[in-house]
Amino acid sequence: MAEILLQNVEKPDSHTLDTYLAGGGYKSLEKALTIKPETLIQNVKDSGLKGRGGAGFPAGLKWSFIPKDPGLQKYLCCNADEGEPGTYKDRGIIEKDPHLLIEGMIITSYAIGADKAYIYIRGEFEFGRRRLEEAIKEAYKKGYLGKNIMGKDFSLDIHVHAGAGAYICGEETALLESLEGYRGQPRKKPPFPALAGLYGKPTVINNVETLSCIPAIVAKGPEWFTGIGPEKSPGPKIFCVSGHVKNPGLYELPLGTTLREIIYTHCGGIRDDKKFKAVIPGGVSAPMLPEADLDTPMDFESLAAKGSMLGSGAVVVMDETACIVKAAYIIMRFFSHESCGKCTPCRCGTPWLTRILKRLEQGEGRDGDVKELERLCTNIFGRTFCPLGDGAVMSLRGALKHFRDEFVYHEQHKECMATS
Amino acid sequence: MVTLKINGKEITVAEGTLIVDAAKAAGYDIPTFCYHKDLLGVGSCRMCLVEIEGQKKMHPSCITPVMQDMSVLTETETVLSARASMLEFLLSNHALDCPVCDKGGECELQDMVLEHGPRKGVHAEPKLRFHDRDYALSDVIIKNSNRCVQCVRCVRVCEEIVGRGVLGSIGRGAHQEETSFLRTYLDCDSDGMCIAVCPVGCYMRRPFRYRARPWDLRGSKTVCPYCATGCRMTIQERDGEVVRSVANQEDGFNGIMLCARGRFGYDFINSAERLKRPLMKKDGTFEEVSWDRALSVVKEKFGSTEGSKIGAVASARLTNEEFYLFERLVRGVFKSANIDSTSRWDPAGAGAFISATGINGGGTPVTECLESDTVLIVGSQVSDENPVTDYFVRRTARDKAINLIIASPRAMKLDSSAALTLRHAPARNEPLLNALCFELYKAEGKKLSGVKGVEALKGLDAAKLASSAGLDEDEVKAAAEKLKGSGTVAIMAGTDFIRYNDGLDALALLVEVLKSLGKEVKVLPLLDRCNQRGAWDMGVHPGFGPGYTATEGGLGSYGMLDAAAEGRMDAMYVVGEDIVSLFPDEGFARQALEKVKFLVVQDIFLSETAKMADLVLPGASFAEKDGTFTNQEGRVQAISKLLPPPGSARTDLDVIGAIGASIDAGFAASDLASLTGEIRKEINMYSEVESVWGEGTFVKASGSGLTGSKKTAKAKKEKKDKDYPFELVTGNHLFHSGRFSRRADILKGLSKEATVEISSEDAEKLGVKEGDRVKVKGMHYEAELPVKTKRGTRSGVAFIAENYEQVPVNRFLRRGEPLQRVSITPL
Repeated sequence: MAEILLQNVEKPDSHTLDTYLAGGGYKSLEKALTIKPETLIQNVKDSGLKGRGGAGFPAGLKWSFIPKDPGLQKYLCCNADEGEPGTYKDRGIIEKDPHLLIEGMIITSYAIGADKAYIYIRGEFEFGRRRLEEAIKEAYKKGYLGKNIMGKDFSLDIHVHAGAGAYICGEETALLESLEGYRGQPRKKPPFPALAGLYGKPTVINNVETLSCIPAIVAKGPEWFTGIGPEKSPGPKIFCVSGHVKNPGLYELPLGTTLREIIYTHCGGIRDDKKFKAVIPGGVSAPMLPEADLDTPMDFESLAAKGSMLGSGAVVVMDETACIVKAAYIIMRFFSHESCGKCTPCRCGTPWLTRILKRLEQGEGRDGDVKELERLCTNIFGRTFCPLGDGAVMSLRGALKHFRDEFVYHEQHKECMATS
Repeated sequence: MVTLKINGKEITVAEGTLIVDAAKAAGYDIPTFCYHKDLLGVGSCRMCLVEIEGQKKMHPSCITPVMQDMSVLTETETVLSARASMLEFLLSNHALDCPVCDKGGECELQDMVLEHGPRKGVHAEPKLRFHDRDYALSDVIIKNSNRCVQCVRCVRVCEEIVGRGVLGSIGRGAHQEETSFLRTYLDCDSDGMCIAVCPVGCYMRRPFRYRARPWDLRGSKTVCPYCATGCRMTIQERDGEVVRSVANQEDGFNGIMLCARGRFGYDFINSAERLKRPLMKKDGTFEEVSWDRALSVVKEKFGSTEGSKIGAVASARLTNEEFYLFERLVRGVFKSANIDSTSRWDPAGAGAFISATGINGGGTPVTECLESDTVLIVGSQVSDENPVTDYFVRRTARDKAINLIIASPRAMKLDSSAALTLRHAPARNEPLLNALCFELYKAEGKKLSGVKGVEALKGLDAAKLASSAGLDEDEVKAAAEKLKGSGTVAIMAGTDFIRYNDGLDALALLVEVLKSLGKEVKVLPLLDRCNQRGAWDMGVHPGFGPGYTATEGGLGSYGMLDAAAEGRMDAMYVVGEDIVSLFPDEGFARQALEKVKFLVVQDIFLSETAKMADLVLPGASFAEKDGTFTNQEGRVQAISKLLPPPGSARTDLDVIGAIGASIDAGFAASDLASLTGEIRKEINMYSEVESVWGEGTFVKASGSGLTGSKKTAKAKKEKKDKDYPFELVTGNHLFHSGRFSRRADILKGLSKEATVEISSEDAEKLGVKEGDRVKVKGMHYEAELPVKTKRGTRSGVAFIAENYEQVPVNRFLRRGEPLQRVSITPL
């Protein structure tokens, strides 16, 4: 499959407008501006594009929730707060092909009737932020942004806002809070952002990769898009492969590519030809899968059926030398550190889990620790304010489901099964 | 209305009702931490999770509104286990130091764990500690974050109700701590609202720390004795000492709301300086005398003095029953028409104020006022004078769009909730309100032909009026537009109208004009003494009798002092009023009282006025008596006795009764029950006052025609003078009320020194910054004091609170000239 999202990244000076234009850039915008917004929304609906940020909500459907009242201020927010451990796909687009994102945002803004758009970018992406600022400046100069874009009755300003280092701000309502200048904590839903989002106005929040799919959908039509990958989860997807593989990196492949194909065909197999042990298929919130599940196609539905999820498409591979307890501990430590503090089960539960896992990992396990982990997971799951706490539990539950014996070994023998 | 099922029980509630409230109505209590009736919902503590049939996840009942045919389950195993697990989580990072925690015995966490479990703690990991020792956030607030349950009520109440926003959440996740920045002292209103909402022992009262367990306290329900907002509260004592005052959510219209004065101003009751025995002056020094002796002297002096040469002033802090008896004593026994309830202003102005604000026309709840489309606050620094009224306004402005217009020369906290602020010149309410009337008249003059006084508007000039008020014409127009576009208007009018005797006719006219334009108008007087309204209702005023009935006119406080200065006042009976400290010309007050042949002062402290007395009678504080207060809304509420008066001091009711009986054997017995009955019978406004507990009962219209304002002598306004560039205004400090609160040591500690408040711009021009000492020089007095700067205050306005004995602001003033000019020079 020809690359869509990563087609420019290898080119020299890929981030410049000239390179982008040379590759046919902003042609989709020109075309989109001749199409009625409703038709655009319908096209994106028809394309079956699902949000690439993690939740996989159909993008066109999300857009269609925006009230049509032309007098109402609407906003587009691009979620570039790429914080899920293992994920670096958005960073690739932002740093190497910022105009792809900008074009996608302009088309989306036109479709939903927004005249202001924000890119909420992860605070650590300082280089990416500068790249985006430069690209936006170029786009203004060429008239792709600003008043009366391409001579049409459509104006748009894009602002870049850097986050301050909180994972939770990748959650869409916490992102809005942070963007408004408040403490980054999730808002209660309903009201959903489509009705009352940024500054209480209808707002669409899409991930960088989602928005980057839009120019191609406009250019080639929804049928082309649905032709890629499985019927229910069509389209290209960037997989960020890391961990114990020979060639880690970004791979743009159709959704539905199996884990085995990604790891063994595209990434060259396990590092040092060691034995495969486990893979986290979609960022650390996604439960890990054992070798038996390697033939699972990487799409929303197939992974859900295996009790995991596609998430952000961050594939973290662990070989036989990896200690699952240690992995679980590090992941839980991350969630505990990033818990925003708003709700009780996540704020108090994740540090508790972390403390137990730390002891287990360090050989200070006590009888009943594994049971206690499971009990605490039950007490957290489904009771938190936002999905952060659920994600923490899902990752641990995944590890316990497939590698319970390793945890028990740690508890009973005060040492590691994998490394001892 | 919405009908739903809660645990199978069908219930119908209003649309928008939250599940937690609907469940309560159905008889099911759902435990909560973050939920608070007065605060916006956040749904964060997860204690209130409930199951809704047909839905996968549990829902937080405190932010989920009911829906038609919903079936909610609040007692299932899943729900109960969720509750227990939340408590387990909270305890996993809780200090569990109940034995040394002040909150023990009234802690929501303790109560909930007792009720919902877990029965046994299994958390055996190290806990996170925020700090080792409790730390103070102010002289009244001390904090232990290790006990925090992260409900964030404290931050929210500070922002949403108090409007200070000095608390915030610092850090993230388990490290999140609600505190001040860098845990430093707060520059706050010290009202302890954070303490009041805190469910655990995280925020504590510093003066109360380690003083008592709640079960060792004995309390009595009362009403705050400071401003006329009239907050319901309970004061509690241990071993004869009042150690706490609290407000309860379930009792009283103010819920948990109290200001610094209400929450921390109780300790004057315990003061060692309280008067305990009658004192008689002999050769310039006081000697203790018996009550018999004291009363016989009063009988001798007052019994033999002609009524017209007797004057009587009672402080606006007595109870209705005491005022009623006082009025009977003065008019009936002393045969004097010289009666008044304050010495701070001209009683004629008070009469006009009563008439303009419709005090004789029945009660107006503040909440009802706030349902209006537009609310105009004028003549009051409401954020300082009536802090809890300010909270009511802010809370309403948070929840719905009200056009709040604040007209005041000084900036105030409530400005941030206002749609429009008018910074008019001090004591220029008249041109301001006339300008508003004029704009309305210009637009719809035809509808106003019947309004009395409207003709006078004809010849006016909008530009001149605005400039006379010290405003731009556009500002006045903008305010008038808001009034024009509103179907309902509320005017909250403060005591500046009477203090400066300014704009009373214009206020009355504005009310009439708005009414004639078909608008529903509510007027709420904003008063600064707890029972000023009661004093007037009971006829403690030279212009009218009880219930605003016609009576033979007499002298008010101003007239009495004039008469005294001319040697025409032979005997004066002053109850609780500190004339020397509060009459707007200290020198004159001293001179006049000096010439009173026999001055009796009844008070709880040896006030400046009492020091001049021939006889001092020890009275009782609000904690030592039963009775009722009528607040500024016209709400009648009971206070009840907690302690006996100190020493041989007696309640004012007792003393007034004893004086009456000593002169006139027929002066009826003065027991409270019979007085209550008499008041209901005699005063029509009080005829339907039954329940004086809970939220009290409102008085009804008097039916007595106290019509039209009396023309009053206009206060002289000083011409602009280069040498004195500032206009000096006064009023109450946020932490004080008259001089009486200065006896409350806790409050005294909160604001140690008087300051002169000027705008930030003026301070910059003078080259001074906050805290720098300056000389404030007036025509008659000068003082050195530190500067307080305020952003947004009108340039050329200086404010010194009237409460501080070190800087008696009334020394700057001259009789009849309440607004003086001063100069301010850096030292």
